[in-house]
Amino acid sequence: MRFKDKIVLITGGIRGIGAALSKSFLQEGAHVVVTYSQDQDQARRFQKELGPGGSNTTVHQADASDFDAMKALFDNTLEKFGRLDILVNNAGIRRDNLVMFMSESEWHDVLRVNLQGTFVCCKLALKPMIGQRWGRMINIVSPSGITGRQGQANYAAAKGGVTSFTKSLAREVAKIGITVNAVSPGVIETDMTRSLPEQTLAELKQAIPMGHFGRPEDVSGAVLFLASEGAYYITGQVVSVDGGLT
Amino acid sequence: MSPREQTGLVENLKELIIGTLRLEDVGPEDIVASEPLFGEGLGLDSIDALELVVAIEREYQVEIPDAEVGRRAFASINALAEFVLEKGAGQQASDAVG
Repeated sequence: MRFKDKIVLITGGIRGIGAALSKSFLQEGAHVVVTYSQDQDQARRFQKELGPGGSNTTVHQADASDFDAMKALFDNTLEKFGRLDILVNNAGIRRDNLVMFMSESEWHDVLRVNLQGTFVCCKLALKPMIGQRWGRMINIVSPSGITGRQGQANYAAAKGGVTSFTKSLAREVAKIGITVNAVSPGVIETDMTRSLPEQTLAELKQAIPMGHFGRPEDVSGAVLFLASEGAYYITGQVVSVDGGLT
Repeated sequence: MSPREQTGLVENLKELIIGTLRLEDVGPEDIVASEPLFGEGLGLDSIDALELVVAIEREYQVEIPDAEVGRRAFASINALAEFVLEKGAGQQASDAVG
């Protein structure tokens, strides 16, 4: 029970990696506040899956990149629990296209949700965490943001941006007991990766030294470690969970 | 506000800064109320400011919404006392002490 009574906020926490993270924190005693953007049916399914553990979960529909909506959610969380210990910025979207064909909206939407959403939530988490002199922020990034990937220039730019944002913010708050790190999942079996073309998936599998895709639970291991007391001396880092891909 | 009350607020702010930033070997008497808090003077840095903003906002229910307001408020202890008074809640906090 490493996270007993800790308050954890996870954006995009009802499916895929986010859902696995929510469940892992719950299993370790945390109270989890989860956001999702649109899919109310999935939100209901997620809550049903949690069973009795669901009583320690609060699920909110909110766009992570909308400052006012997120401020209301943070205020509500702080009013209810009096603190915020751990923030996981997991909300993300992909709108893959080659740059020559990429529309402005494909560019802006991806930057807004992935990059601006991370900025908004980190900014809102700062005051409570500074007041506590303790906090953990973990941003979910991507190998695309490190190496680049054709057809993902928008996503790579956003995730690369989140990586350097993570390193910068880590330096700003290192003295105050707050760590800011990133976790970079490789190819993980989720709805988001299942939507990739079959040929891309086959190529990816071949490039992974471990020879198989990861599971959402594999990402939880790294995130929960970075959120734990034991990781207090680690900040501004990117931990890749990718079977050796990068 | 009487001079005695203002002195009370200035002393409270000094204690708050020392406590929040865990300044070792610094007593309230070492902080000159008219001198700059950052750079020269007390020698605090911009990261210290993050903690001070949160502490002042909590203690006196004021808001320091941006860096410019922060720069003016944190110019010196005297400036900070004026800022807190101007925003109203400082009066109550000082009364409670005084």
